[in-house]
Amino acid sequence: MIALIRTLLRKELLDASRDKRSVMAGLYYAIGTPVLMCLLFAVLLQQLSSNDELYIRIDNVDAGPALVQYLANRDILHGDESKARAIRLSLADNFEQQMQQGRPATVILDADHSDDRLLSSIRRIERALGHYNSEVAQLRLMARGIDPALMQPVDVQIHDQATPDSRGGMFLGIATLTIILTLFYAAMNLAIDTSAGERERNSLTLLLSQPLLSWQLVVAKVLAITSFSMLGLVVILVVSKFAYGLVPWEQLGFTIRLNADFMLFTLLIGMPLALLSASLQVLVSFMAKSFKEAQTYVTMVLFIPLTLSMVTTYNIASDYVQWLPIAAQQQAMIEYLKGSALPLPQLLVSTLLTLLLFVLFSYGSSRLLKSEKVVFGL
Amino acid sequence: MIKVTDLYKKIGEVQALNGLSFQAENGTITGLLGPNGAGKTTCLRTLFGLLKADRGQAEIDGLDIARQPLQARKQLGLFPDPFGLYERLTPREYLEFFAGINGMATADARQAAAKVLQVLQMDDIADRRCQGFSQGQRMKVALAQSIVHQPTNIVLDEPTRGLDVMSTRVLRELLLRLKQQGHCVLFSSHVMQEVAALCDQVVVMAKGRVLAQGTPAELCASTGKNNLEEAFIALIGTDEGIAA
Repeated sequence: MIALIRTLLRKELLDASRDKRSVMAGLYYAIGTPVLMCLLFAVLLQQLSSNDELYIRIDNVDAGPALVQYLANRDILHGDESKARAIRLSLADNFEQQMQQGRPATVILDADHSDDRLLSSIRRIERALGHYNSEVAQLRLMARGIDPALMQPVDVQIHDQATPDSRGGMFLGIATLTIILTLFYAAMNLAIDTSAGERERNSLTLLLSQPLLSWQLVVAKVLAITSFSMLGLVVILVVSKFAYGLVPWEQLGFTIRLNADFMLFTLLIGMPLALLSASLQVLVSFMAKSFKEAQTYVTMVLFIPLTLSMVTTYNIASDYVQWLPIAAQQQAMIEYLKGSALPLPQLLVSTLLTLLLFVLFSYGSSRLLKSEKVVFGL
Repeated sequence: MIKVTDLYKKIGEVQALNGLSFQAENGTITGLLGPNGAGKTTCLRTLFGLLKADRGQAEIDGLDIARQPLQARKQLGLFPDPFGLYERLTPREYLEFFAGINGMATADARQAAAKVLQVLQMDDIADRRCQGFSQGQRMKVALAQSIVHQPTNIVLDEPTRGLDVMSTRVLRELLLRLKQQGHCVLFSSHVMQEVAALCDQVVVMAKGRVLAQGTPAELCASTGKNNLEEAFIALIGTDEGIAA
């Protein structure tokens, strides 16, 4: 029995490895995604860190030199058209005069609040103006012999517990998402080819006429696809290691470092997922009546792992979802990279669920292969 | 030996097999002759257990295919229609694979494949991938596949379709040799000349039933015709043959 499965597996591997187009299509994903993500991260980081020096247009600078100086100390500067962002701060002509008289002096902050790219800059200016307000107010109260603490009934103290590594949550989410989805995309073509393709090339009936059981055939196919998924996983891990090494993380104060331990950990928890992925895609392909139909169905079905992964990436998973396959494994990868404690119960349960699904899907495929309708496409 | 007893099989609304019974002996070439749609392919698929008969049974060397499918299939070699080759494998790999899944150890499978390649004079194409093979070369690979594990019974589904003279000769010589070695050879066909030239026994079937069985000479004699084609037409009735 073992010898039979080995013979079947050897043929599947040989046949699949010569299907250069399918193998390469899978590997393109594994090689290309980390490179794309690396570029995306670089751009995102640029945006996040660009608030070091904020240039805006300040009209009527001479009207309030003290305010302008205050803003300048906070790196909010007047710049010319080319440099400045589309935010305009206008000081009223009587600004200095009003200030001296202790009356409200008008400042107009003019910007498009629906422009998301400006929003953080606008908030920053508002915050700076707010601080200026309260500083001047405190000085005025003191000059009149009143304790400025009166103006502060509640002393709000904010303690930020975020470590630099935890701040990179979204980046970690996206990086692990691309890694985990490799298990599903790397072997997609091979999975369809070995099932729907085998039937379309008429070799399936010949195989089933041989002295073997349908489950042996399914197991051999699933194992062959799994080995290519795992190859894809190894490739994306190696490529990611180098690609993410090139991202200028220091601007954010944290880094994504994929060390050997992490890679081994990922390969370990990825193995059951690879089995799940292979058995799922084989099942769906056998259910389809033709190669093209299989491609459509498999693409549709792959939205499920994508959704589970997205939910984890954006940290909107409900408590239930955290126990599910893919979500739990990805969460574990994220925690591993952060250096936090692993969600072991979730990981264990979801790994068992993953293996259970693999058995169910494989059983389903072998049932399908006993059906005359499925085998002959009746 | 292949024995089919009272097989019934309905596919969709069509009664594909309707009480089919016949026997193919060892050391004999038996032709399953019938018009298109007579149920030949359904019969062969049932023989391999790919289709389950509604009633009746098929036995291979006394093994019921429905009860002991694995043992029964080991005694069967199939030359399928279509061939079902793996385009990316070489004939040698292909043959070793089929020998392997029929229970041969790796070394034995290698030896068996080499032997068949030699018998069918395929050494020149043995290590080229099947992609781009001619119809004749494909036929040879399929034929080699059906005998590589040395089964007692060899079943061929429409083996002569699309073959040129040379390929047909290769096929014919091999079938005669198998017969001499005592194998049971069963093939389905609708080509009269082929059947007349090769078969010791002819099973004429239409609409899922056997209409007559005997040597070509016996069939001619019983219908009072002087060639198999005329005898065949007489047996199935012209309407049936054309309508099906």
